[in-house]
Amino acid sequence: MNLRDRFPPVLAGIVIGISMLLTFVVAGRGIGVSGTMTRLVATVQHWFLPELTEKSAYFGPYFANGAVPLNDYLSYLMVGLLAGAFAGSFFSGDFRFEVQRGPRISRNGRLLLALVGGVIAGFAARLARGCTSGQGLVGGAELSVGSWAFLICIFIGGFGTAWFVRKQWI
Amino acid sequence: MDMIAPLVKTGVISEAMNLWLAVPIGFIFGLGLYFAGFTDSRRIARAFYLKDVGVPVVMFSAIVTGMIGLWLLSLIGVIDTSKMYFLPTFLMPMAIGGVLFGVGMAIGGFCPGTAAASIATGRVDAMIFVVGFLGGSILFGDLFPVWGDFYNSDYRGVYRLDQLLGLNLGTVVLLLVAASVGGSLLMRFGQHYFWPSPQTEGVAMRRALRYEAPVVVLALAVATVMAFFPTASFLKEAEASWYIIQKADTPAPAATPATEMPATTETAPASAAPVEPARKRAHKGEEGC
Repeated sequence: MNLRDRFPPVLAGIVIGISMLLTFVVAGRGIGVSGTMTRLVATVQHWFLPELTEKSAYFGPYFANGAVPLNDYLSYLMVGLLAGAFAGSFFSGDFRFEVQRGPRISRNGRLLLALVGGVIAGFAARLARGCTSGQGLVGGAELSVGSWAFLICIFIGGFGTAWFVRKQWI
Repeated sequence: MDMIAPLVKTGVISEAMNLWLAVPIGFIFGLGLYFAGFTDSRRIARAFYLKDVGVPVVMFSAIVTGMIGLWLLSLIGVIDTSKMYFLPTFLMPMAIGGVLFGVGMAIGGFCPGTAAASIATGRVDAMIFVVGFLGGSILFGDLFPVWGDFYNSDYRGVYRLDQLLGLNLGTVVLLLVAASVGGSLLMRFGQHYFWPSPQTEGVAMRRALRYEAPVVVLALAVATVMAFFPTASFLKEAEASWYIIQKADTPAPAATPATEMPATTETAPASAAPVEPARKRAHKGEEGC
């Protein structure tokens, strides 16, 4: 009993596209997720190393003039995103604590690779100034050359890596 | 003018209201990610083996929806694109970042949005992925001087595909819609060829196509109409001065505090001529994501 199977990909994409279109119309900007994650690490680092963080060439501007990094448009979007995904899974009876893994990998192996993949993706998202949603989808809709280069390169990187981690997934 | 959108830029709604409206918009986004099956890392990763091409199809569909919506609303005079924040292009950093990001996705099985959504469904591997993601972000930020020059290199301004290809904006929209439809069909064929399963054949496929075909035809029809309009009808005059690409030897706009993003994007178009020299190794501009 899983509602996900009832959503053809094109229609699910339209729902995501509509949320993006709404941010264009309402806010004049796009959706995004990794920006909030950057602001989150900037905030946490600021708790422990306030001076270093404020002087940092990268994190410093988030604190300019006493600004609070997480007081940002994307943070509000993130709250809604978490609520939406929770509501979807909860009312589908799909909410559960679980390590999702392929049939040929151990639980700890999967978690280790999730961590490694996360570090690489986190670094890459900063370098590319955004992630799949904020750079790929939004820039794709805006016809941005950089975003389309980013999208194409995601698939180059992904297909190029897939063979090496195939035991994890298939 | 009578263009009412973007609502917060034209004063229809307040800044505070704009922030609160982000919550229901995010809710739709989260629901969409969940019902696309994007909260399952296995589903995302299988896209890279062509074993489940739902992921790229959803991405194409979302891009096409946003693209047609944005440029159509601009064409009929609802949204003023000169008041919008468009993502700037830093070509090489974005291309290299894209390759690395793809590596991270294939290994980790998530991207940030899907991982956040997956955490909300209780998945533990998503939580670990995000821990890693935060680590990667802090690594980038704290060692920024090492790659700061590369990060700010190859700046092209707001650079659109129609400018790159020398085509009409509407034509590019039509081409991208057609490429998305063709690419989606091709990938489904590939999935069926390499990994035949009950989901890729017969009843399941026809059922999916029955819902999808009407909107695909509609998208193609709308894009075909848009292709007949010249580029200028999609962009307001105020924009003409700033969508011209700055050459590589022209420094990018100076670093601006991240919190002033909306202000800088508004003033940049108006005063296109005087560009302050870029501060080396500064955190330039605001990311969309």
